[in-house]
Amino acid sequence: MTQRNIFCRRSCLVALLVVMLASLSPAHVRAQSSAPGLDIFSGLDFNFRDINYSRQYDLLIHLTPGFKWDMGNHWQLVGQVYIPIVNTYGSTYKYVYLNILDVSKQLRLGPVYLKASAGLFSLQRYGVDLKAFLPLTRWLALEGQAGWVGVLTMSPSWYISPLNRFAWNAGGDIYLSRWNAQLRAVAGRYVYQDFGCEVEAMRHFNHTTASLYGRWNNVTGFDGGFRFVAMLPPYHRKHRAVNFRPASNFRISYSIMYQQYTNRMYNTDPEENERDGWFSRDLLQWGSHTMQPDFIESSNTVTE
Amino acid sequence: MKRHTLLLAVAVAALLPSALRAQQYTGTSGLIHIPSAEMHHEGDALIGGHYLNQHMMPDTGFIYNGKKYNTFDYYLALTPFRWLELSYTCTERIRSMQGDEITKWSKDRYASVKIRPVAEGRYVPAIAIGCNDIGTSAFNPKRTNVQLYFLNAYIAATKHFSFSGNEVGVTLAYRRFYRGYNAKWNGIVGGVTFSPAFFPQGRLMAEYTGNEFLLGMEALLWRHLRLQASVKDFKYLNAGLCLQFNLLGSRYTRDPY
Repeated sequence: MTQRNIFCRRSCLVALLVVMLASLSPAHVRAQSSAPGLDIFSGLDFNFRDINYSRQYDLLIHLTPGFKWDMGNHWQLVGQVYIPIVNTYGSTYKYVYLNILDVSKQLRLGPVYLKASAGLFSLQRYGVDLKAFLPLTRWLALEGQAGWVGVLTMSPSWYISPLNRFAWNAGGDIYLSRWNAQLRAVAGRYVYQDFGCEVEAMRHFNHTTASLYGRWNNVTGFDGGFRFVAMLPPYHRKHRAVNFRPASNFRISYSIMYQQYTNRMYNTDPEENERDGWFSRDLLQWGSHTMQPDFIESSNTVTE
Repeated sequence: MKRHTLLLAVAVAALLPSALRAQQYTGTSGLIHIPSAEMHHEGDALIGGHYLNQHMMPDTGFIYNGKKYNTFDYYLALTPFRWLELSYTCTERIRSMQGDEITKWSKDRYASVKIRPVAEGRYVPAIAIGCNDIGTSAFNPKRTNVQLYFLNAYIAATKHFSFSGNEVGVTLAYRRFYRGYNAKWNGIVGGVTFSPAFFPQGRLMAEYTGNEFLLGMEALLWRHLRLQASVKDFKYLNAGLCLQFNLLGSRYTRDPY
């Protein structure tokens, strides 16, 4: 193992230790607690591509049942399974597999919001991950993400690699509340070990967000495209100990150059999306979280 | 009975307040083939398709076995701000590949951008600039293999006049295509629209594209369904439909000109 890898691994472990210690400190008491409960949900993961002349599009649609167990104090256990229901991509994609299974903790440490996760992430990665968000003003914030990960595949056969990849990115966000618009720029080393950067311009609407992005990486060069996130009804919900509901959102991302292995980072949350960001609304009031909430509980309290 | 049902449907649609900003085949607002300075409402999202007669197509790129052919396109369009429209269009092409006995289709993809720096006032027309088929390859002389069949830029001015609830719109534009095979549509283009007071969701259109005259009509039904049909020389039909939603959740109202 190289000196650099040892440094990266130790950095991640130190960061996680800081998070765990901070979760015991008085600073974390300032954060609101999310209501404990178990959410069981399902949505769709919709993929399409246009790479051959024999048919209009190849389709790959997964059913995405999952769960979120809020354990209180922003501790969360999440899991999600991908079940292909329409597949013209080929036999490589025909398997049912566990997409996400991890535990995470969100907290506020002074002005910095942190989210630490450990377990199985999307893109068939496992390891530890730390996200940080620092609001500087009501319209300007810095963000960063770092993960120490390895490969873990379960289909068609098991394969696990050592924790040997350090992926990270960092950048900033500008939120223009007057227009509900957000600019995001990040650069870093992504999960497939390419170096790159990305700029995204988002427009938040009622329950939907549309964005354009442009990006570059050192492997395939420039790319661009658009994304669309729609928060799914029902928007008024009752919070119970166990809740069955549709997935909170439907997200689709389009790449002009069909670059699916560059500028990619894994997800640690099965419902992660650009509109909501990484943190719970009751913890972080910045950006789109200052808009009217998408989901309202019948008791008029806000859920994530 | 069918006639009564149709009349009832039109009557119900007429009760819904709305405004038409046309449905170009690109998804952006405009008349039939020419752009205008009208804009969709902020938050409007459109998804639709258009049947395109061969006479609407460029003189190259859409030729199979030596002949131009009728085709169709489909698009996504969004108005994130009241001064900006974006759309993404795919036009179907027939591919002629060596050794292929079966007709195969591919797509010509392009993006459109339209910006309106000057909104329409009481005496001032709206002014918009925009372009179709814009992309990095448009500015890259090395990428000569990329065909930008619809690449053009324009500046347009539109003014509406109301009388007794009727509305007349006049559009004048200068448009330039950057490929020689589309030069027939270069220069000054323009058109007139008429929206009657008894059916403000409907509109009649007449336009000059620089090469031909087109007549058309369109309607917005049940607040979300747009229909458009047009003809060239009274015999070559183009038609399209699309679904329209406002992502801000606002109701459609006529703009106060």
